Amino acid sequence: MYRYDTLDHTLVAERVAQFRDQTQRFLAGQLSEDEFKPLRLRNGLYIQTHAPMLRVAVPYGLLSTRQVRMLAHLARKYDRGYGHFTTRQNIQYNWPKLEEVPDMLADLATVEMHAIQTSGNCIRNTTADHFAGIAPDEIDDPRPYCEIIRQWSTLHPEFNYLPRKFKIAVTGSPADRAASQVHDIGLHLRRGPDGQIGFEVLVGGGLGRTPIIGKVIRDFLPREHLLSYLEAVLRVYNRAGRRDNIYKARIKILVKAMGEEAFRAAVEQEWALIRDTALLLDVVEIDRMRKYFRPLPYEKLPDIDVTAGREAAFVAWYRHNTRVHKVSGYRAVMVSLKTPGIAPGDMTAEQMDGLADLADRISSGEVRSTHDQNLVLGEVRQQDLYETWQRLTALGLATANIGTLADMICCPGLDFCSLANASSISIAHQITERFSDIDYLYDLGPLEIKMSGCMNACGHHHVGHIGILGVDKHGEEWYQITIGGSASGDSSLGEVIGPSVAKLEVANTLAALLDVYVSIREEDETFLQVVRRVGVTPFRERVYAPNR
Amino acid sequence: MRQIVKHRQCQADAWSMPGEAAAAAGVVVSLADYLAVQAGTLASPAPAGAALGVQLEPADDEAQLLPFAAQLQLVVVNFPKSAEGRGYTQGRMLRERYGYCGELRAAGAVLLDQVFLLARCGFDAFDMAPGENLTLAAAELDRFSVAYQTVVGTVVQPHRRGQVG
Repeated sequence: MYRYDTLDHTLVAERVAQFRDQTQRFLAGQLSEDEFKPLRLRNGLYIQTHAPMLRVAVPYGLLSTRQVRMLAHLARKYDRGYGHFTTRQNIQYNWPKLEEVPDMLADLATVEMHAIQTSGNCIRNTTADHFAGIAPDEIDDPRPYCEIIRQWSTLHPEFNYLPRKFKIAVTGSPADRAASQVHDIGLHLRRGPDGQIGFEVLVGGGLGRTPIIGKVIRDFLPREHLLSYLEAVLRVYNRAGRRDNIYKARIKILVKAMGEEAFRAAVEQEWALIRDTALLLDVVEIDRMRKYFRPLPYEKLPDIDVTAGREAAFVAWYRHNTRVHKVSGYRAVMVSLKTPGIAPGDMTAEQMDGLADLADRISSGEVRSTHDQNLVLGEVRQQDLYETWQRLTALGLATANIGTLADMICCPGLDFCSLANASSISIAHQITERFSDIDYLYDLGPLEIKMSGCMNACGHHHVGHIGILGVDKHGEEWYQITIGGSASGDSSLGEVIGPSVAKLEVANTLAALLDVYVSIREEDETFLQVVRRVGVTPFRERVYAPNR
Repeated sequence: MRQIVKHRQCQADAWSMPGEAAAAAGVVVSLADYLAVQAGTLASPAPAGAALGVQLEPADDEAQLLPFAAQLQLVVVNFPKSAEGRGYTQGRMLRERYGYCGELRAAGAVLLDQVFLLARCGFDAFDMAPGENLTLAAAELDRFSVAYQTVVGTVVQPHRRGQVG
């Protein structure tokens, strides 16, 4: 993985000093609440329902075990013993004390981490496929490009006061595991006409109040032009994006208002002026960055049948929580952070330490975070899978539910977030209790449930196969249900099934939807395929039937 | 007299801003007025011997100043709100694209914690928001000793720093 050099270390240390100074000025009354807000947000610090919340950047979801142990240390020393992994591969702490946040940042800096631009109207953490570098269908590893983008976007002088937040995701495989089509910019690694590597560029995707799938504004961008093209898009947006209405300020609204063609023309015009300037990346620099992410010296191992003679629990875990690796004899292991009764994405300090030890012993000394709030051990020899399962089981991280209904995405909701209209975590608990029969979940097949406590859509509800959105109705928590959304390669936005349902009815409503699915599915049809085939109507009729 | 930070020093401002009585040293007018004066359709409000400067608002297109970049001595970029970000682009373009070498001043709701990034966009003078300490603002120009981006005045191209050591 990338290692800081003197410049990186210096920049992060100076950023910590700057934030310490800003915090002290606020605590001393020299900065008002309003003045401090944009400053703290640019360092990932929110003031939440109970306490400040600190969001720490996990660039493109890659962590060394040393970093994981530091995250555990922060949870113990400054928080209540746990952290929460987010839908953008970051980690949040929900209970730090404001005056201790500079110390947390200083601790993070010792392991080459920071919270720079994890909030605020600036370029946020760049996310990537959590199987980067190990996916068999990968065209190129997205992470070297993500790191180049991380550096370019960090404290970018021109783009720190954008109309609104700005999120970039990069994928290297045809399968989209980074929800790149619902990002402000989605970059898809592609091979060009002559075999050279570059990007398909999507702009203007996003969720929130106006969910939109990103539009392809360039079929192929040679990789050496990555930064100049990004700079052109950002400049057009910084100039022309709306600043009068926070709900109309994202780039998706600008693309819609200008029209795709006019927007593309504006970007191309700007790009023509800067494409061959100092922003041009040369192959030496790209290769230098790629070396940080070089594949392991893999052992030559055959694929083996690891399930023969093993207990059913292990076989179920193997089937649901491990994934194919590009190298024979290896698997990628999904570490489930979806334990029934625990908020999705939450992880205790003990689990972090235990996982770090395990990753050092049987994997590459690296851990990846996923956009659906789980973790990955990327490089596990198949012969070590049984021991891995045993150890993960002991840590409470082996619930064999990846990809099932129980593998929900969920924002912190009303329990923690001051923006939320309704709680999410209690609904997640209600659903996991209602659907506790794991064999039923396996029978339902791949099913993505995504839940947000408000319109801001941190839980990506629009692109859930089943989406759940918390709404406030005369001071009560109600939930609007959508079906048919997807954030994979064939992205689509879910359709609302009808009027929102009461809090206690959410799991029952899901049960009705799933009954319809089970009764009309053909052979191996998934829930999403059935919705796409038959539409919303049969589901709506069942859920709102007068006698249900 | 208005105090500003200019070339890292706190100093008195010799110019008058739009709406103020014309100063002897120089008079700043809106972009529309500046272009009208240049086109000969408006008499210059500057007294004899005084320079004429221009103030850009966020929606103004700084490219219109290209023909005058060599003769202009002062461009003021107004930030009506501290969250306003268009002026960062305006400043950078004036310096990098249009070759403007005169004073580039950020004015309006300019806060202490913004002068470093503004300076990286080419600003060399700061008419700070009311209540901001000018000495501290000048010190903020040294907040970071390193940066990743190649912008005006940067010698090393940082995203290629592997090559330069």
